[in-house]
Amino acid sequence: MRKPSPSVRPLTPPRLIFVTGKGGAGKSAVAAALALALSRRRPATLADLDRRGSAAAMLAAAGKSDALETLALTPRAELEAFIHRIVPLRSISQRMLRSRTFGYVTAALPGLEAFLLLERLRLIAGTAALEDRYAVIDAPATGHALELLNVAGGIRGLAPAGTLNRLAAAVEDFIADPNRFGVILTVSPEELSLREALDAARALRETPRVGWIAAALNFATAPLFSAAEVAALAAFPAHARLAEARMRAGRAAADARRALRDAGLGVIELPMVFAADFDHAGLETLCGRLERGLSQP
Amino acid sequence: MNRPEITALALADRRLVVCLGPGGVGKTTLSAALALHLALGGRGVDVMTVDPAPRLLDALGLRVEDSSLQPVGLGAMDARSGARLRALKLDPKRVFDRLIERHAPSAAARDAILADRVYRNLSNALAGVADYMAMEQLLELSRAPDADLIVLDTPPAAEALDFLGAPRRMLELLDSRAVTLLGAAGGAMRGPFSMLDLAARAVLGAFDRVTGLRLLGDVRNFVRNFSGMYAGFAERAAAAGELLRDPRTLIVVVATAERERIAQAIEFVAALNELDLKAGAIAINRVRPPLPDAGEIARARKIPASLRAKLQSHLADLAALETRERAALDALHAALPQGVELLYAADLGREPRSLADLAEIAKTIRPA
Repeated sequence: MRKPSPSVRPLTPPRLIFVTGKGGAGKSAVAAALALALSRRRPATLADLDRRGSAAAMLAAAGKSDALETLALTPRAELEAFIHRIVPLRSISQRMLRSRTFGYVTAALPGLEAFLLLERLRLIAGTAALEDRYAVIDAPATGHALELLNVAGGIRGLAPAGTLNRLAAAVEDFIADPNRFGVILTVSPEELSLREALDAARALRETPRVGWIAAALNFATAPLFSAAEVAALAAFPAHARLAEARMRAGRAAADARRALRDAGLGVIELPMVFAADFDHAGLETLCGRLERGLSQP
Repeated sequence: MNRPEITALALADRRLVVCLGPGGVGKTTLSAALALHLALGGRGVDVMTVDPAPRLLDALGLRVEDSSLQPVGLGAMDARSGARLRALKLDPKRVFDRLIERHAPSAAARDAILADRVYRNLSNALAGVADYMAMEQLLELSRAPDADLIVLDTPPAAEALDFLGAPRRMLELLDSRAVTLLGAAGGAMRGPFSMLDLAARAVLGAFDRVTGLRLLGDVRNFVRNFSGMYAGFAERAAAAGELLRDPRTLIVVVATAERERIAQAIEFVAALNELDLKAGAIAINRVRPPLPDAGEIARARKIPASLRAKLQSHLADLAALETRERAALDALHAALPQGVELLYAADLGREPRSLADLAEIAKTIRPA
């Protein structure tokens, strides 16, 4: 019996989608297009974890929409909010945050700031469920994203009891809940990018136990030429080389699609945008594909 | 390297070439290509790669588990006398452990640190550790008696120059004042501590209890164990800074011909300046080679009409991408910081999988 192919039916989006991928795979463009696509069904929030705010800038260039808000998240701001929460006396919490010693200790506790960022994502997803909205996160590249998503487990190991332990358990539940949290891995049809995505999907299912993972296969092209056609161009070596490269790129995209599906991932294929300017139209193209790849609620 | 076109970079006199840049621009490939090229020109080159693609590892003859310098066979290549290439893959955890072993004041302190849960967290989880360890590995390589020229690939930097700031951050973490403050047991604190420090310490204790971390004691132990090594670390950080500012060091910022990446590259150059470091070049990787003549296809009688139509549509697709790339490069030309050379390396049209592929990429490196 054939395995059911999840990519054929549209995927049901969770409340919050965390978009990551290898550098250069087009992660920010995918996050921006996804937020745009979802905002056509329900109000949506795009949160940038990347200090450059690339996804938000792309959305701004595409024009304003009332259904779409953007938000920048920084680990430092989350740490400050957390300290103010557990140390309600403002004068003391301020003093703590200003103290260099405190800075050293948080630096020596890697993961605390990252963990608080995750806790914030949990709260954002909770608000999204209450207000019937979607949230899209333009997350760091794969390596850092894996560290970030794993940090709740680490905190639980470090804090056997107390506030952080309770929060960490809640964050782990959140990450595992396919209605509230999902990861989209942005993949380009290249060896390293594909391998990294497959490794990441495996890792995400195991230790942070992510319940919803899909792949956005970006820069997918059709082979356009057959091997016989490439051979027929022998008299025009420069054209033959280009045709062969296009054929190889098309095949690589098909192979990547197969490998991702075999790994049990839903795949949304996004085309290479051959346009002189990747602007509003480029974003619209990706957005259209994503709309079709995600089911109506 | 005696190719006249890039003499402005004075590559023959360099002792160190550092490639920096955002993720996904082909930094590792370009570093390897450059290293091979310089080796073939007669230098003794050691190249350190970070997270190379499996095929690039194959091309360099490295195995996944290798974390020390391995000779790369240049036998089949056209090399000048004196040519030597060695490659290694950075393994941050191993470098960190080695560093602790070297600087620990005693075997007991070493074991205590290696077993410490704060250290294990720090060495496994902290993103900055990979940056620091790349720097540490660089120092190890540069102090080898037979070092001639080192080509250094670095971990991808998101927005800041994490790699270059790493030694400074490590020093701040181990700053002697914090070491003393945290390292001192209970009432044994001496020295000029402000009320703020004392308050911070008290509040940290409360923080520890409320959060359930109970880590303060561990951090204190860690810092105390580390304090014996502080001098060693400070010396290493200073040496690394000196090496990067040496006139024989060339810093190359790598990007691709995309608007976003080019903006990042220019930000990198500015951030380098703030650290009192100078980028010698911006290298744009994977630049599209010029498109062949479309008229050739239109005139060819032997090509079936359907294939001709496909070729024309393909050329139109590529022309659109070329226009996009051209606009990005024109913007870069206009914004190029003074004193920074601009280099292009051509797209190979496939992923490099052999030394010959790397040599081919290196041959395309040219000034813009």
